[in-house]
Amino acid sequence: MKYLVWISVFFLALSCKTDKKNEATEKAPEVVETKEVNVYTHRHYPSDQELFAQFEKETGIKVNVVNAKADELMQKMTSEGEQSPADVLITVDAGRLVRAKNKGLLQGVTSAVLEKNIPAHLRDSDNAWFSLTKRARVIAYAKDRIKPEMLSTYEDLTSDKWNKKILIRSSSNIYNQSLLASIIAHDGGDKAKSWAEGMVANMARSPKGNDRDQVKAVVAGEGDIAVVNTYYIGKLLNSKNPEEVKAGEGVGIFFPNQETRGTHINVSGAGVAKYAPNKENAIKFIEFLSSKNAQEVFAKANYEYPVNPTVAPSELLASWGTFKEDVLPLAKLGENNKKAVLTFDEAGWQ
Amino acid sequence: MNLLEVTTLSKSFDHGKTMALDQVSFSIKKGKVITIVGESGSAKTTLIRLISGLETPDYGEIYLKETLISSVTTMIPPEKRNIGLVFQDYALFPHMSVADNIGYGIKNKKDKNIRIQEVLNLVGLEGYDKRYPHQLSGGQQQRVALARAIAPKPELLILDEPFSNLDTMLREQLRNEIFEIIKATGITAIFVTHDTEDALAVSDKILVLKQGKLIQKDKAKTLYKKPETAYVASLFGTIIELTPSILKEFDYPLNEKKQYALRAQDIKIEKNTDYTLDACIVKSHFMGEYYQLEMESPKGNHFLIHVNKKAKKQKMSIGFNEKDLMIFENEN
Amino acid sequence: MTKLVGNKNKIYSLENKAKRFKRDINQWSIITLIIGFIIAIPIATIFFKLFSGPGETWNHIVYTLLPKYVLNTGYLVVGCSILVLLMGVSTAWIVSRYDFPFRKQLEWLLILPLAIPSYITAYSYAGVFDYGGTLELLLRYFSISAIKIDIMNMYGLILILSLSLYPYVYVSARTVFLTQANNLIEASRLLGVGEFKTFFRLLLPLARPAIIGGLILVLMEVLNDYGAAKYYGISTFTTGIFRAWFALEEPETAVYLSAILVTIIFGLILLEKWQRQKIGYHNDIKSANRLLRKQIQSNKKWFLLSLASIPVILGFIIPVMQLLYWVGLTYEEVFSFEFLSIAGQSLGVAILAALLTTIFALGLIYFTKWNKLHFIKNLSKISTLGYAIPGAVIAVGVMIPTLFIDKWLYKVFRSVFEINIGLFINGTIIGLTYAYMVRFLAVAYNPIESSTLKIGDKISESSKILGKGNFITFFKVDLPLIKKGVLSGLLLVFVDVMKELPLTLILKPYTISTLAVKAYEYASDELIAEAALPSLLIICTGILPVIFLNKLITK
Repeated sequence: MKYLVWISVFFLALSCKTDKKNEATEKAPEVVETKEVNVYTHRHYPSDQELFAQFEKETGIKVNVVNAKADELMQKMTSEGEQSPADVLITVDAGRLVRAKNKGLLQGVTSAVLEKNIPAHLRDSDNAWFSLTKRARVIAYAKDRIKPEMLSTYEDLTSDKWNKKILIRSSSNIYNQSLLASIIAHDGGDKAKSWAEGMVANMARSPKGNDRDQVKAVVAGEGDIAVVNTYYIGKLLNSKNPEEVKAGEGVGIFFPNQETRGTHINVSGAGVAKYAPNKENAIKFIEFLSSKNAQEVFAKANYEYPVNPTVAPSELLASWGTFKEDVLPLAKLGENNKKAVLTFDEAGWQ
Repeated sequence: MNLLEVTTLSKSFDHGKTMALDQVSFSIKKGKVITIVGESGSAKTTLIRLISGLETPDYGEIYLKETLISSVTTMIPPEKRNIGLVFQDYALFPHMSVADNIGYGIKNKKDKNIRIQEVLNLVGLEGYDKRYPHQLSGGQQQRVALARAIAPKPELLILDEPFSNLDTMLREQLRNEIFEIIKATGITAIFVTHDTEDALAVSDKILVLKQGKLIQKDKAKTLYKKPETAYVASLFGTIIELTPSILKEFDYPLNEKKQYALRAQDIKIEKNTDYTLDACIVKSHFMGEYYQLEMESPKGNHFLIHVNKKAKKQKMSIGFNEKDLMIFENEN
Repeated sequence: MTKLVGNKNKIYSLENKAKRFKRDINQWSIITLIIGFIIAIPIATIFFKLFSGPGETWNHIVYTLLPKYVLNTGYLVVGCSILVLLMGVSTAWIVSRYDFPFRKQLEWLLILPLAIPSYITAYSYAGVFDYGGTLELLLRYFSISAIKIDIMNMYGLILILSLSLYPYVYVSARTVFLTQANNLIEASRLLGVGEFKTFFRLLLPLARPAIIGGLILVLMEVLNDYGAAKYYGISTFTTGIFRAWFALEEPETAVYLSAILVTIIFGLILLEKWQRQKIGYHNDIKSANRLLRKQIQSNKKWFLLSLASIPVILGFIIPVMQLLYWVGLTYEEVFSFEFLSIAGQSLGVAILAALLTTIFALGLIYFTKWNKLHFIKNLSKISTLGYAIPGAVIAVGVMIPTLFIDKWLYKVFRSVFEINIGLFINGTIIGLTYAYMVRFLAVAYNPIESSTLKIGDKISESSKILGKGNFITFFKVDLPLIKKGVLSGLLLVFVDVMKELPLTLILKPYTISTLAVKAYEYASDELIAEAALPSLLIICTGILPVIFLNKLITK
């Protein structure tokens, strides 16, 4: 008999549930003054933590951090829905920000500070997200074998002279996806596909490892040029491992497409979450990150280009020279991302 | 008063497709020892697991002291039945000393130590209380298992094949000892075995199980002398089936609808029997306590007989008496 | 005859069935069902997701990627099987059959590679053979011109995975050799059969079920591997799952791919069950004596020692040396108070998860025993299938239903108590521990179950017949006897949780981080040298349990 009681308790609880649902939707959520901001971030650099601490000190707003891959964070936000505690989403590429916006995970905000600090092409048209730092996808060449004059554009990499000479990582990497997405946006899908096929034909080896590994392979003579991110070259040159520094010093940096549309850039950026429980704090937080002080920290610590035009890049980055950047609206990268992945698959780019 | 009453007890392990135990009924009077005999697969273990409450019956009832303990609707758990069980492999608690093993089931905490000593004395293991099971011989483990089972003074004691793990010498001695203990305590007991010698030696009554069915229950002597089927007869000793053609050679007035058999030693090398026949020895085997002779009748029928002495002649008269002949209803 | 049939119909009539059901159902049946239900929800969620159909790129994947995934995964499975069997069985035989210097140490050293997550072994080998890597430095030191060995390919991956997983086969083969082989060897030698033939004709078939059991664990790990394959540029099913989920933004397609993977894994499990049933004899043979070791001549001694050390050197010493070298380069930067606190959190989470998982496994095993309904006994096994499912997929399976509950709780609390509780399960330690439990229940369940099987039911039945109820029986009789099984379950879950990555990444609360997550963060930022310190700590926590487990086997 006691089981019957249990079962009835269970059903009571169930019925309770449906009643409460109706009541709950009628009530408006209360607005409470809060002293915290919940940040979902893909970035996990010591410099970021330093900045977060500084923000806490300046404003008294506590920063709670969830670190994970952007995809996983977005998946989490989607599942959490209205109850998501996330206030700010930070990713390390524009594609994901666009994706988050299209999924309805972000909200547009108005902030004069942000509009002033960040150039228009580095912001979302609805101000759903803002870039914080930039990275350029450049060509690293073996100083001893290749003269920079031989290099010109991304498109030129498919020509015969680079047969079995190019090193580039796998297509599952977001920076490669973004690069192809930008080519799709500029040249169209067909040209992009033949570019990807041309690249595959010219690869010195099947794609593996990360950007550092590509540079090391150039120095080791497996190929002559590698398509890599400036950020990782910076890391390599500042490695604790003297052999890695040597590898970094063995390559020169070339910014492609200077005569045409400019070098492909990718950004790391932040947006305010759609259901942010601490929206005001979230805006304050992003404003802080775009401020001159914070941008200087980004520039110095992390070998990234600041987005705030008033801040100069670090010495190392400056030593590579200034370059013309592709001002394609970053939203295009997100829009064409999936197409890019499919194109990679069709071209057989592992 | 019946201490235990079992009615139409049934159990199947595959939802009734094959009956492990098929509507078995019997009862035990207080203070008696009964034996359940059957080959392996006869469900004797299932039957005692049902009685002790380790299995649930599909049908039928079990009453202990006129209280219903198992039925389709009732199931008193084993820990509340007050039945003792000695497993075939003893199942002593390996991490407890002999004293702890024996004391485990004693409810009265006050007299626990006294009771432990009492049963240790009873089974003849004084001074072994600090030992652990793995330090004991097989026979000693057996006694501890028995002591542990009787220590809480159960209403009913069940012994499942208690001697099957012991060698022949020890077995007979221990069998007698243990049943003396049982008789001495006046406990009601069920003894399960596939060895009919054990059964004949100790029990007041014997139940014979065959493939889950109770095929005969009787006193030992009756079962031996007047088995109801050839199967039961063969369980309690070698039998020689007498085919109609042999019986005709003996000039026996047979009934075609019946089956006839003799115990091997009831065929005698004598002329002075009720029915006789001259036969030849084809082969002779020395079997220790007796000789087994393979005989051939004049019409070429072969059969085996047991004799005490080595046969001297090739050809001899053999015969049997009417009173030794076992007659069964034809099983077909 | 008709009477009997009639009775049988009566015994199994619906009315009697209902009566028996009412008689046999008890609190344990219900609790078992509840536990089984709780553990099975995520797996069921994934299963039901299958009915909503794959995403739109399914065809694209089937035509352009699937053949490659299948082929690569096939190569990996075959290659790893061969290598793992070679290394695992031969070393098990050498250390159980022969006596040579350092044999005792080698016995447990051979299990140590299991303490290193395979992605870490993969990273360190890349570091060894890299440009400017350790090998090149060493060669340069001895003024030998560098030979470039490329490890980052299919062969390299097979080697790496085999090196880090062969201990599963080694352990199970050795157990059989040690406990069951002696009589056979003696009998075989009396018959004048040589050592070599005895091994192949008698002992290998004897140990086959155990070896294949170990092999299946290896293959599950191979199929679940993500980190190593991705870094080495080999596209497998699991890398495909991540690609479909994240790059193509189609969780449905990812679930479809994982369903194929899970089907393959379940196929393997069934295969193992089937072959175990077919060969039922191995349980019956038990040598009374442990295997006696052969003394051998001195030159052969050293040969055997070096032969059996190869897997230890390649699978443990070299990767650990490489990590130590990296730690030497980077420890100043990585080591901090925060790092210590992460190490502490890691330990805390792993201990909590190991305890709870073990308690649940114990509960599932014993409540099932105490329950009298037969169909529940079969059902409870299903809840141990989580181990076969990739961590990331489990994470999704946990997230969907727990969020549903969270949202409900949130509304109830807001309307009844006027409190905002936020998410109660998701993104909290509760959700994370729950996911670990789902994933690793089998890891605790199997050693506990096998130790209960070893004892058999008779002993606890004796206790019940002597008038003790379930709980007293459990604590006084069962638990002391299955202690070793419980302890090994506890330790295995602990080690697995310490190493676990994808599930932790998705479900961990913000305030908590683990060593594996820390190592991953460094590695994903291409700071592999910096990832060495947390990796090394993960390995350290894994070593102690491994040594302990070895003690359990040899005892």
